Amino acid sequence: MINTLRTSFKIDMSYATNSFIYILRKLPILKDLITEDAYSSKVLKSIVRIISLIFSFGKMLAYKFLYFFILIGLANLLNERFTGYVFIHIYFVLTLLGMFINNRLISPNSKKYFSVILFGMDAKKYTISTFIYDLFITTLLNLIVLISIKGMIHISFNTIYLLLICSLLCRIIGEAFSIIFYKRYRYLFNSNTKLYMIISIIFLGICSLPYFGIFILPNMILLLLIPLLGLSILSFIYILRCRDYKIIIKETNSYNAIMNKDEVSSYNRQKMVEVRDKDKIIDNKKIVGKHGYDLFNTIFFERHREILLRSALRFSIGIIGVYIVLSIMYYMGQGNFIHSFLLNNMGWFVLILYFVNRGSIITQAMFYNSDHAMLRYNFYREESVILGLFKRRLGTVVKVNLIPGILIAVGNVVLLFITGGADIITYISMFIFIISLCIFFSVHYLVLYYLLQPYNKDLMIKSGTYSFITLLTYFVSYYASDIKVSTLLFSIFGIVFCIIYIIVGLLLVKKYAPRTFRIR
Amino acid sequence: MKLDIVNLNKSFGEKEVLKDINFTFEEGKIYGLLGRNGAGKTTLFNCLNGDIECSGKFYLEDDYGKNELNYSDIGYVVSTPIVPEFLTAKEFLEFFIDINKDKITDLKDSDYYFDFIKIDKEDQNKLLKDYSHGMKNKMQMLINIISNPKVILLDEPLTSLDIVVQEDMKKLFKSIKKDHIIIFSTHILELATDLCDEIVILNNKELELIEKNNLNTKKYKDKIIKALKDEKND
Repeated sequence: MINTLRTSFKIDMSYATNSFIYILRKLPILKDLITEDAYSSKVLKSIVRIISLIFSFGKMLAYKFLYFFILIGLANLLNERFTGYVFIHIYFVLTLLGMFINNRLISPNSKKYFSVILFGMDAKKYTISTFIYDLFITTLLNLIVLISIKGMIHISFNTIYLLLICSLLCRIIGEAFSIIFYKRYRYLFNSNTKLYMIISIIFLGICSLPYFGIFILPNMILLLLIPLLGLSILSFIYILRCRDYKIIIKETNSYNAIMNKDEVSSYNRQKMVEVRDKDKIIDNKKIVGKHGYDLFNTIFFERHREILLRSALRFSIGIIGVYIVLSIMYYMGQGNFIHSFLLNNMGWFVLILYFVNRGSIITQAMFYNSDHAMLRYNFYREESVILGLFKRRLGTVVKVNLIPGILIAVGNVVLLFITGGADIITYISMFIFIISLCIFFSVHYLVLYYLLQPYNKDLMIKSGTYSFITLLTYFVSYYASDIKVSTLLFSIFGIVFCIIYIIVGLLLVKKYAPRTFRIR
Repeated sequence: MKLDIVNLNKSFGEKEVLKDINFTFEEGKIYGLLGRNGAGKTTLFNCLNGDIECSGKFYLEDDYGKNELNYSDIGYVVSTPIVPEFLTAKEFLEFFIDINKDKITDLKDSDYYFDFIKIDKEDQNKLLKDYSHGMKNKMQMLINIISNPKVILLDEPLTSLDIVVQEDMKKLFKSIKKDHIIIFSTHILELATDLCDEIVILNNKELELIEKNNLNTKKYKDKIIKALKDEKND
């Protein structure tokens, strides 16, 4: 068992180290310094191994911290007076939920396929040794994070130990349950979306009970520990005795293994931008009298109503729902909170519009369903065609993004008005800011697409710069939500930034797109 | 040694792909499996390899008796090679040898195997991600040959290889057929008649052995094409 774990660990390390070198070799400057020989250099690999070890542990720790901070935030939101108790309640309920949806023992994963099917490792030894290792690491990470946040939620060491033991036992029970379920039904419990949703909604409902003053207290968890302990011992024996790991790994991975991580995500992207059957028929009125690239553009957008128009409309319904809830909250006496939020937290709307805008998916659809084929024809690569189509596309993308955008802009103004009002400049600047932000996101993704054209024919992203900029866009949008300045100031700066960015972006497209908009 | 397929049936929803197949493959022969597009050749391989559920039984019979076919008895070289892309070819091979050293008979070092499959030193330390389709295929083939399974399933294995490697591979298959059952699926008739000892066609959801008898190559090919064109009305 130890040998199996050691070998599996060595393979993982080689994989991680090579991936790290691979990424380094994609970066500017470094790509010239690090040659292909790096993969065989023992010294360099040892250094990279240490860095990647630290990096991967750091990443796991960061995710744990993020998870626990979200829990604390939720606990605060549900009941400010008893944050500690609410935190324990949520932690325990989510641990129970994890028993059903967070099963990793037999979940498909190409690493398992390679280790067991391709390398021929003993499936049982591999599964059990990596499982025990996983339990150890998860418990260690939980311990580190819980001790670090102990002061914030005022819980004792005894409670920490209780929560840790509880997670450990529930995880073991959950994994045994997943095997039993799979053997009975031949599919994974958490791969059934319906079951996943039902169980999640039930447990998330229980999670929110502290809002009504109902908690699961540490003493109750302590009592529950007895049946959990009994059940987990039986589960652990079951896991140790199970002989079907090889066949389960074979069955659950045969499809996934064909695809690596990149291929899975590109496959998902392809599925997402697929033209839906109901969009294949276009209303004749929409295209009558149109010619050339205008017609081309109209047909394209009509064929993608599902991911563009309908999706924007769905977001809009959600947005209207949120504003209705906020209005109800106003009538329930939360007006001051909403008023102050609208006057000081404009940054949140950057993050909201980041998620609402359809820029990224539109460019994927453009490439996959049109440009990757059309760009092979010379007439499509002429400067006038590229720029002409860019303008038409930008117009349509902006229109789509403006549907939820205008709703948010109007919603904010109305909400600000009914919750206490502000001066006219604030209203106007807030409104224009949201609209310019919508246009900004539309321009941003389309400009990136035309300047970097990051996709290959399978919709895999091949441009490191594109990945970096999209990641940066996310982080900037995320951190913008943390900026607390007056809405007036934020909006004015925002508007100026958007206008400058849009102008610069369009100029860059005009200058470079005829050369950069190519197939990779 | 014999591989018996007994009452194999496979359907995808309403569509029946394999219908009550009973067939015996024998050691020492390379079987060319031919069939039209969508006839179910890959499905048959996937059933044998346990990748998909099907009804029916597979038995392996040797001097010691008859047992149900075990996954470890099969080596499956798929047409789209599956290799761990973020390992170098050398790492991949060395890990494989390290893990299976107790099971491999007549174990050699990695240099020997690379030499055998003709992969140069400079390519050995490249990531498999950067390998061409043909090179990945070579690695996949090598792993399957080293692990020395009793039954080898080859799904269009030569099409992505250059002609020199193709010839080497053909020689290799001929040299190992004595102790193996090799089933070779292809669309290239010339390749099948040139390399294989027996031609089996998958047509109308059934397997059928096309006897060569004393036919010359031209007449034998005509017979195969005629058999493939023959569609029964269900």
